[in-house]
Amino acid sequence: MDILVVLEDKSGNIHRMSQEAIAGAQQIGGECGLSIGVLALGENAPALAEQASQYAVEEILSLENKYLFNYTADGFAAAVAQVVSSENPKYVFFGHTYQIRDYVPRVSAKLKRPFLNDIVSYSVQGGKPVFSKQAFNAKLVTALQLIDDSPCIVSFQSAAFSSDTIQSGLASVRSVTVNIDAGSIKTVPEDPFQETAGGVDLSSADLIVSIGRGISKEENISIAQELAKAMGAEIASSRPVVDSGWLPPHHQVGSSGQTVAPKLYLALGISGAIQHVVGMKGSKNIVVINKDPDAPLFEIADYGVVGDLLEIVPKLTEAIQAFKN
Amino acid sequence: MNICVLVKQVPGSEAHFSVSADGLWIQETELPFEMNESDNYALEEALQIREQKGTGEVVIVSLGPDRCQKAIREALAKGADRAIHIKEDAPYNTDPYAIASALANTIKDEGFNLVLSGLQSDDLGFGQTGVILGELLGMTTATLVVGTEVLDGKIRVKRELEAGWFQWQTMDLPASLAIQSGLNTPRYPTLKGIMTAKKKEIKELSFADICAVDELQSFNGLSVQHAEKQTEMIAGTVDQIVARLVDILKNEIRIN
Amino acid sequence: MAEREVLDLDVLFVGAGPASLAGAIHLKRLLRESGQEANVAVLEKASEVGAHSLSGAIVDPRALRELFPNYNDADFPFEAEVTEEHLYYLTATKKIPFPFVPPPMSHHNCFVTSLGKLTRWLGGICEEDGVDIFCGFAGTELLYDGDQVIGVRTGDRGIDKNGEKKTQFEPGADIHAKVVILGEGTRGSLTKKLINRHELMQERNPQVWAVGVKELWRMPVGTVPPGCVTHTMGFPLGHDIFGGAFLYGMQNDIWDLGLVVGLDYKNPAVDSHHELQRLKNHPWIRSLLSAGQMIAYGAKSLPEGGWYSIPRLAVDGALLIGDSAGFMNGQRLKGIHLAMKSGMLAAETTAEALSTGNFTATQLADYESRVESSWIRDELWKVRNFHQGFDRGLLGGLANAGMGLLTGGRGWGFKNRLFSEAGHKKMKKIVEKNRYKDLQFDGTYLFDKVTDVYYSATAHEENQVPHLHINDQNVCTTKCAEEYGNPCVKFCPADVYEMVPDGDGQRLQINFSNCVHCKTCDIMDPYQIIDWVPPEGGDGPVWVNL
Repeated sequence: MDILVVLEDKSGNIHRMSQEAIAGAQQIGGECGLSIGVLALGENAPALAEQASQYAVEEILSLENKYLFNYTADGFAAAVAQVVSSENPKYVFFGHTYQIRDYVPRVSAKLKRPFLNDIVSYSVQGGKPVFSKQAFNAKLVTALQLIDDSPCIVSFQSAAFSSDTIQSGLASVRSVTVNIDAGSIKTVPEDPFQETAGGVDLSSADLIVSIGRGISKEENISIAQELAKAMGAEIASSRPVVDSGWLPPHHQVGSSGQTVAPKLYLALGISGAIQHVVGMKGSKNIVVINKDPDAPLFEIADYGVVGDLLEIVPKLTEAIQAFKN
Repeated sequence: MNICVLVKQVPGSEAHFSVSADGLWIQETELPFEMNESDNYALEEALQIREQKGTGEVVIVSLGPDRCQKAIREALAKGADRAIHIKEDAPYNTDPYAIASALANTIKDEGFNLVLSGLQSDDLGFGQTGVILGELLGMTTATLVVGTEVLDGKIRVKRELEAGWFQWQTMDLPASLAIQSGLNTPRYPTLKGIMTAKKKEIKELSFADICAVDELQSFNGLSVQHAEKQTEMIAGTVDQIVARLVDILKNEIRIN
Repeated sequence: MAEREVLDLDVLFVGAGPASLAGAIHLKRLLRESGQEANVAVLEKASEVGAHSLSGAIVDPRALRELFPNYNDADFPFEAEVTEEHLYYLTATKKIPFPFVPPPMSHHNCFVTSLGKLTRWLGGICEEDGVDIFCGFAGTELLYDGDQVIGVRTGDRGIDKNGEKKTQFEPGADIHAKVVILGEGTRGSLTKKLINRHELMQERNPQVWAVGVKELWRMPVGTVPPGCVTHTMGFPLGHDIFGGAFLYGMQNDIWDLGLVVGLDYKNPAVDSHHELQRLKNHPWIRSLLSAGQMIAYGAKSLPEGGWYSIPRLAVDGALLIGDSAGFMNGQRLKGIHLAMKSGMLAAETTAEALSTGNFTATQLADYESRVESSWIRDELWKVRNFHQGFDRGLLGGLANAGMGLLTGGRGWGFKNRLFSEAGHKKMKKIVEKNRYKDLQFDGTYLFDKVTDVYYSATAHEENQVPHLHINDQNVCTTKCAEEYGNPCVKFCPADVYEMVPDGDGQRLQINFSNCVHCKTCDIMDPYQIIDWVPPEGGDGPVWVNL
């Protein structure tokens, strides 16, 4: 195959971002005439392979190995590197998840192939895809240049593609094997656990009012909470607000918080660093209020206001209370 | 416990930049520079681990032009013992594989038990260098580290997973860890720290001399992000803005 | 808990500006030449040298040439030699050139300079010379043994907004020094304490300041002639407000535009930031700048009082140099060379004091004699009544200056000394509500204060006690609101002070994080209840080439 998409397991289902990577592969593959294979590995490889066989791809590789039952960077990097070596695709695609950040640079080093991480878009030049990533905390963007031909490893940022666009089909499943030496696994993982008890599952909220550093101080948070209450919205925030202890961590939206895609994401004083944006890019309507006209978040806003949220929000709350009554 | 801390100097977080006239990099002349944020946490973690163990060196390794000596000195002032500055003038030779290879060549004979790096740099944000370095030197690796516990010959680390989940894992030493911001509280440099920093060794090497591999990727200039969306910017007085917002919420987005 | 660090030095300069740095370099040289050893250090509240330096500036190279006799002008970090100079009187739409540039306003043989760049350069030489520059440390208290200054205590770091210690708390350090030399710049906070405690302003005119606000504009390549220098009077300040604008061509296609506004205006509605925006509305300025992009903003006060406002300069154990002492030539718009020279003279006194082991006021008063017999005095004496003439408006001020030229500095041609009062006392109890109603901020050429503050790259640790101490906030919502209309909201160029609604009335909100350390509030508050103290070390602007 020309493109190998590596799947990540989310409790026995294909991770949403792996689905997005498949959608991306189909789109890029279609434009550049590239065929697609999919690799399922880990404890739930058969289940993932089964799900992937409903997609319009050339074939599914199913890799089962006892050293891959629990995720370790040692095991996964070794396994994926071996599969890529033997299958020799031109491109290896991933969704840019925390797990990928953890082990794929090692694949890159083992294979001496470049890892183009966190890609947001692509263009086709000379029949080949050219990938672009963001730089300087999403303020600028750059097209990455490969020094020579494939294979190269690519991971896509959340919502670079939409899983809604996956074309279905029927693909066959083939078993593959790798050799992993017991001594090469030098990491012993324990069970994952959640740290904050309870809290709202923001990912199912329809309306979100989200607070950033621009709120300036803890005392001002109530202004946003009043607005949320008036609108019937949930409160979310960017990382700095949580780091300052102004809100408990479960409100955090972003790469290390929750990913949300509500009907309305009203961002107050959030500049739009990548870490936050990846958690809310998929929101249907994004309204941004920020003092800084250069805030990157305006780039993805449907509606933007360059202004002082401390002045605007209280009046907005009043107006909403008025029309609701 | 000998620890290497990888430190990068990046444009100041309060700065805003424009692309240089030739489109290849950012306009650096009017910019302040500072130590990359997560590197500062990595440094603090290294200093705390060394304090717990009681012995060992904390060594700074930094790759960049002359100006990054300022970040190096700051690290030395906070308590690191010595530094290696790999001089590289061109700001945009930034293939993580080539950089990690150069770093690996530099430290391979030093016998470090731990290499700590910041999770990713605030300029290009590849987030790969520490992990590639670990792989090249046969170390175990972990990223998004938010807690460390040194054991005998091993280290137990707490990794951040998505959506509020975490996981501990025990890894053989030597290990290369990419540290997430916020896991500790970085200390202030003291006056004595600043004074003694001047006497600490900063070994200078040249990137061209120690990088034995070719770049795998580079990039093709920088540009301002193009808005993919049509953003309606609402301007006017506060009252006018509020009125338009209410209209949008009520009639266009239909929040009810 | 961390213990308070104690450091014993011989000489401590406070503030890494041109005065202290020139002083430290000169002192080290004198010590080397006489075979003495001494520990010399400089304390700087900014995170790096130059980050809090702001000026126009046009530098008279005199002091630099004295300090570095083996250097050529090309070795100094100037932007460009002044190549052309213009002086205009502006109306709202026209610019009228002066028929000739009066010699004292001529900048011939001087150099357009970025003060930030100059101080960084001097700082580098200092460090090579073995002087420790401690950045990120703010001097907050003078240490005394009786009446003798014996050192400086730096501010605590890691105190939260409630005054409680944070995890990383570090108590301030006590730095002992035989001689403490205060080069804190304009309205220095330790200087203020020293002057008050030792009554150093007796028989002097009160100091009078101005505030300079500036923007740097990056223009299309090749469109800015470095070394092109322009000064203006008239619009937008008119005849009743002291000041004028400057426009200097720098390297790298940058126009450096600024406005100096005397902090002795009568109208409490005056807002120096807004006046700068009004200035940009002038068609000539617009034609120059509109194709460019604003890249930086900053503000700083400057001492305008002149010779008779300079305090007594020496006490037991301490000396005053640079802008802290008021060494600025308001007529020539230059103070950097005077600051450096004062630092060098202080170094000479200090070197002698170190060799005799006597650090009393009597010994250190040698500095005052040196200043009296130096070109600092020659220069400042001739303009000793310059600012005071402007009490009679622009034309009066120009006339006084003209007469001063002919009479070696006499006020109105015949008076040896004109008296003046402190600028804040001139503010009248009028409230002009709509002074700037025609000013429209578009966010791309004319910026509101909040936007400009964003471009000042200033940041402060949010979780700390605000560093602007107001002795009685009741005054703000009652007396001051009525009598003056809360001028702090206007005279602060960084939007630190805001009157926000609070129930039925208003309260004062202090956005200390915006502060650019210009000291205008400490100077101009009509009730003198604002006390500016340094925030946590390392906080504040991070200017690169202002």
